[in-house]
Amino acid sequence: MNQEHAEPNATPPPLNPTQYVPIPKNPNLRELFEILLRRPAQLAGHQVCEEKPTLLRFGLIALLSILVFGFVLGTFAYKDQLWAAPIKMGGGLLFAGLICFPSLYIFSTLAGSNASAARLGGLLSGMLAMAGLLLLGFAPALWIFAQGTSSFGFIGALALLSWLAAMIFAFRFMRVALRVTGATQTAPLVIWSIIFLLVTLQLSTSLRPILGTSDKFLNTEKKFFLQHWCDTMNKSLKP
Amino acid sequence: MRDLLTPTTQHIRAPKTAAILRTALIAAAGFGVYGFTVGYWRSPLMGCYVAVKMPLLVALTLACNGLLNGLLGLLLGSGLGFKQSLHALLSGFAITGLILASVAPVTFFLALNISGPDSQNATTSHSAYLLTHVSLIAIAGVAGVVKLAKLLESYTESRTISRATLTAWIAGNAFLGCQFSWVLRPFFGSPSLEVAFLRENPMRGNFYEAVWRSFERVISEIDLMWMVLLILLGIIMPIFLFHIRNQIKKAKQ
Repeated sequence: MNQEHAEPNATPPPLNPTQYVPIPKNPNLRELFEILLRRPAQLAGHQVCEEKPTLLRFGLIALLSILVFGFVLGTFAYKDQLWAAPIKMGGGLLFAGLICFPSLYIFSTLAGSNASAARLGGLLSGMLAMAGLLLLGFAPALWIFAQGTSSFGFIGALALLSWLAAMIFAFRFMRVALRVTGATQTAPLVIWSIIFLLVTLQLSTSLRPILGTSDKFLNTEKKFFLQHWCDTMNKSLKP
Repeated sequence: MRDLLTPTTQHIRAPKTAAILRTALIAAAGFGVYGFTVGYWRSPLMGCYVAVKMPLLVALTLACNGLLNGLLGLLLGSGLGFKQSLHALLSGFAITGLILASVAPVTFFLALNISGPDSQNATTSHSAYLLTHVSLIAIAGVAGVVKLAKLLESYTESRTISRATLTAWIAGNAFLGCQFSWVLRPFFGSPSLEVAFLRENPMRGNFYEAVWRSFERVISEIDLMWMVLLILLGIIMPIFLFHIRNQIKKAKQ
């Protein structure tokens, strides 16, 4: 018989101080940034995730990051796109988050999670903040390419790849976070992730032009995003 | 120097700013010395330009991808923070720089001995010179990556994490580094073009579009039959090599 069975009421070993770092009561932006990247599971299970300041701070990180990313995309065409692209990207992300929140609540419950709406709000803003930070990481590289090329296909593909890479990590954060809150099923989370991704991809077409130039702020012609991409793939900024 | 060529986990556990600066300086010096020999064949002035541009290429790539490298290091579970990621990557580049600097006397000797850019054989010399340097840079680059891989393996919890981190870093830095090499061109100095620090409109165009255009030109000149043959060979060869590797493994067991 091993020691574990011999002493069932023995005191558990102390937590490894190098791995476990308690989350402060009212974390500031820098601390939230650190926790989000280093200890997402701990964050998801903590009370701080349900608090309004956390939601607002994550929202702020997401919004600022996406505004910078939008500005970088705007430097592809310059002119009006320098202000239009960040507004469209920021507004689009906020809109996508809002319209996908009800489905997140339903699908996370279906997956077995017992997270409250407030906690899910915190997790969603955390997910968007993570995606935003990654996009901020891609921004300098994207700017270099935006200055060198005039091909919509090339810069569009690059922006899309950056977006997909950011989304992979963002969805991974959401999966880890929901597991902490009791989710056991993967399928509902995968379905929600696909829904969110499709919404953001369609928004890239609904809010067009984001890369190119136009007389109007928004193009009212209805189009599916795949069709829009096919139409603009071979076009160039310079006639 | 020996510590830098065989870095340990202590090396990146808690890097101090002074240590990072020292590594950066060594990397810059290594690339600078080697860069001088790269450009020297075209002209001494070109050598000076390339001595500045090679370290600049590394610095710009790391600066632009700094945030992304740090984020990927954290998100992929390596446990490396921003400063640590920078130091680990700089160490890899410093090893590559030191290897290149160590062969710089040889490449300088080569530059002095092959036909100059004004000679009749300038085009052939330029091609041979280009191939030699590309091979040397590739060898030194692989050596730097191997050392970086070992460093990450010893630091991270599992091999999967270290490989994922390394792959993400290499992919990001190589992708951007290629574009910076395009922006900062010329490095070897074509015999038919004037010596210049940068080409006119350096930001115009991009590396990948240029590669794609070259690929299209090559494809348009190849017969359909040859193209099918090349594609088939491209499919069969990896399978064949994989089969041979398995046979060798079985034989060893």
